[in-house]
Amino acid sequence: MSAATLLQILSSGVVTGGIYALVALSLLIVFKSTEIVNFGGGDVLMFGAYVAMLCQDYFGLGYGPTFLVTSCVMFALGAAFETGVLRTVRGALSPSRVLVSLVITTIGLAYALRGVVRLFSYTDEVRRLPVLVRGPPLFLGPVVLQRQDVVIVAVTLSLVAALFAFFRYTWLGKALRAASVNPRAAELIGIKVARMRLFSWGLAFVIAGIGGILIGGKIPITPDFGTQIAFLAFAAATIGGFQSLPGCIMGGILLGVIQNMVGFFVSSASIAVAPFIVIMLVLVFLPQGLLGGGSALKKV
Amino acid sequence: MLRSPGRPLLVFIAVMILATLVVPGRAPAYYTHVVNLLMVYGILALGLDILIGLCGQFAFAHAAFFGIGCYTTALLYMRLGAPFLIGMPAGAVLAGLVGLLVGLPAMRMRSLYLALATFAFAEAARWVAASWDSVTGGSNGLRIDPGTVFGWSIVTEADAFPIVAGVFTLVVISISHLVRSRLGAEMLAVRESEHVAMASGIDINRTKLLAFTISAVFAGIAGGVFALLNSFVNPDHFSFGTAIMVLTMLVVGGFGSLPGVLSGVVVIGLLPEVLRVALKSIQVWQELIYGGILMATMMFMPLGLAGLSRQMLGKARRANRALDATLGGTETPP
Repeated sequence: MSAATLLQILSSGVVTGGIYALVALSLLIVFKSTEIVNFGGGDVLMFGAYVAMLCQDYFGLGYGPTFLVTSCVMFALGAAFETGVLRTVRGALSPSRVLVSLVITTIGLAYALRGVVRLFSYTDEVRRLPVLVRGPPLFLGPVVLQRQDVVIVAVTLSLVAALFAFFRYTWLGKALRAASVNPRAAELIGIKVARMRLFSWGLAFVIAGIGGILIGGKIPITPDFGTQIAFLAFAAATIGGFQSLPGCIMGGILLGVIQNMVGFFVSSASIAVAPFIVIMLVLVFLPQGLLGGGSALKKV
Repeated sequence: MLRSPGRPLLVFIAVMILATLVVPGRAPAYYTHVVNLLMVYGILALGLDILIGLCGQFAFAHAAFFGIGCYTTALLYMRLGAPFLIGMPAGAVLAGLVGLLVGLPAMRMRSLYLALATFAFAEAARWVAASWDSVTGGSNGLRIDPGTVFGWSIVTEADAFPIVAGVFTLVVISISHLVRSRLGAEMLAVRESEHVAMASGIDINRTKLLAFTISAVFAGIAGGVFALLNSFVNPDHFSFGTAIMVLTMLVVGGFGSLPGVLSGVVVIGLLPEVLRVALKSIQVWQELIYGGILMATMMFMPLGLAGLSRQMLGKARRANRALDATLGGTETPP
């Protein structure tokens, strides 16, 4: 067991962890703006990967246009889910009781997305997206880095940076935050809370979809593969207490590293159980998440 | 609130006795099989409803307790030769104990964190079942020989029917008593408002723990009966998909209503059979239809079939209630 091996495990953990962090971010954005844990998050990622595959295999697009088209499709889907479905659900019951209904609706979304994908016999076979970037691996000291992994980390980092800037500096980002912290007050100062919710869901779907494209070049895609990623993303978001953006990102990367460590030191069969152990440990000992802090209950 | 069980329950018992006399041997084996399975799901769903519908704890660990009951019953029989009437209660007790252990940390968690933690527990439990090859047979599954009840071997679906019907009837009777008991009222109070319940002198933690334990015991019973019905089980029987199916039954039927939940069990339980007849490629359509049903129910029928029927009955009664209210009577909560 050399330091180089350890670094190698760490670096590949960071690559996959970054993608988990993206899905966790997607969950977080939805949770902060609408208090809904999106149990369909993993399937949104899966759907994004298939949309990208459609772009590439059927329309013969390159990666650039693929990112663009997939983002647009995913935004439309997320916005449609919020306006077409969630808004009706929200109106059907009193606010104190509706939360469970909303969460069940996202489980319905998960099944529906998987069901739609399965309708096409194209998805019966296990497929992959083409490798993101070709070329020989890079050598960073003793560590070997695949070019594709470098691009994945770069895309992830720039997306996260863009999100930070968006939430901190733009009018829309600030309005989104205001609408999530205190919807009533936000409405009073002229922010259209309903529109903000729509935008949050759209944005969340875009982020998960991009996660799907990035991971699609690394691991084989099936209609079921989103579920596994969803567990890891839930664990990552739990570490972040479903509250903190940096917490989610650290959680995602931590999960990726833990997963690789468990695979290397314990057994590859134990990888599957790692996220559940993490979720349980965090929630049992720190019911607010590692970096959640403060109260998880929102004021009205 | 505390009505006596009364006539509906007596009618139910009469129907079950009649069915036990008529069905075995006469109905085609396949239909008997479907009815047996529906009764297992009925036990499972009613047990889950104690936790979610009655006590308001949105927990996802039910499939795990179902599995514990099933594996315990099956293993006690296959390894030690314990008959069903020993194995099934043992499975129920073990499921209840694990339910208690899960409830201890879970009672401190709120809504969505509770859902996440219990969901993680269920997946971890399924992983144990899939990995513990020497005991559970791992993901290859476990073969179960035909069980025995009072030394009588249960081979066909018709043999099993009276046993399943008997257990199911006892479960329905005990749950309808639980709902009307003091404990049931306390659970309801916890669901409506923990603060008000606490102020009324209800021990919230004790009530939640009991709800977790009792709910798990019923899931264990369902698991034991499932072991009797099946000659083979594997961890996939106790996956997230099973948990979602039972949740769908509650959602479609209506949380917190015994007849509602049972009608949900019938609708969702028969759905695969109907689809199998109507569509050739049921595997392909099943998930889409499940997802569609979940979303559409939450959109247009948020209180399920029970809520729908209450709404219809309510229209007739509303005039009376308005009169009561003006005369100073207390408004009953919806």
